[in-house]
Amino acid sequence: MKAEYVNSFYKATKEVFQLLVDIEPKRGELKLVEELKNSKDANVKLGVKGDLKGAILFSFPKDMTLELVKIMSGMEMDKIDKFTTSALGEVANIIGGNAFIFLSEHNLSCDITPPEIFIGEYNPSPWEKEKALLLPLTTPIGEFDITINLKENN
Amino acid sequence: MMWKEKYKIGVEHIDKQHEELFRRVSEFTKVIRSEEDWDARVDKVKETMIFMKDYVIDHFNEEEIYQEQINYPDIETHREAHAKFREGINNYVKIFEEEGFTEEKIQEFGGKLMAWLIMHVGNMDQKIGEYVRSKGGKV
Repeated sequence: MKAEYVNSFYKATKEVFQLLVDIEPKRGELKLVEELKNSKDANVKLGVKGDLKGAILFSFPKDMTLELVKIMSGMEMDKIDKFTTSALGEVANIIGGNAFIFLSEHNLSCDITPPEIFIGEYNPSPWEKEKALLLPLTTPIGEFDITINLKENN
Repeated sequence: MMWKEKYKIGVEHIDKQHEELFRRVSEFTKVIRSEEDWDARVDKVKETMIFMKDYVIDHFNEEEIYQEQINYPDIETHREAHAKFREGINNYVKIFEEEGFTEEKIQEFGGKLMAWLIMHVGNMDQKIGEYVRSKGGKV
């Protein structure tokens, strides 16, 4: 997997977070993981098709999810429900969309499928049991991960 | 949902409309997040949906007319973004017509609408302001 895939996602995440919640996420050390799996509380998956195929998984702890939506809405959030997961899914969707705009500058044209939301640990489908890159991100409201599993569609 | 001064693009009538959109979406969010019985809130939800649909269409049309007047170079990209936003709202209007105003679907719509509005006004529309300023505020 090429570095520009990860860089595009980091750049898009940074921009969207700054705009939506005035927070700049800092990137941690990139890790190679065995499969698309995460044990954090709220997971959003975007499928990818086109010149690249695979999936992107955004994984957030509960407190961070609630804080993120609280900052966006200006209202207290005390539970993960349809409103909070829908907002979270849309944030991931916007990040994914922007990341693929950056990747189109490298002549890669991709579409993303609508966000799928999973409450609790995300376990991979049989076809997602392939090595992926996990990008940990740190913010003042919590730590979250973006796991990237993309390969070129020949 | 907080309106921020940084969202202003420096074009008075558009800024006023944006502020009104934020105010309405904020009110809508408060209604759908309140603990009151759903049946007691659903009329306010319906009323806001009708307002949003009409106001968003009028606002986008006015913004596009303004962009034409100032020869805004990214007008086509912006039109496409408006079309996607409208499509997003219309898809939910259709769902509500077919399935009724269920709390689950309204909560789902509310979460998305909030993110769409902040992103559109806070990002896409800022570029109009940047263009106007690049022309010395005289376009």
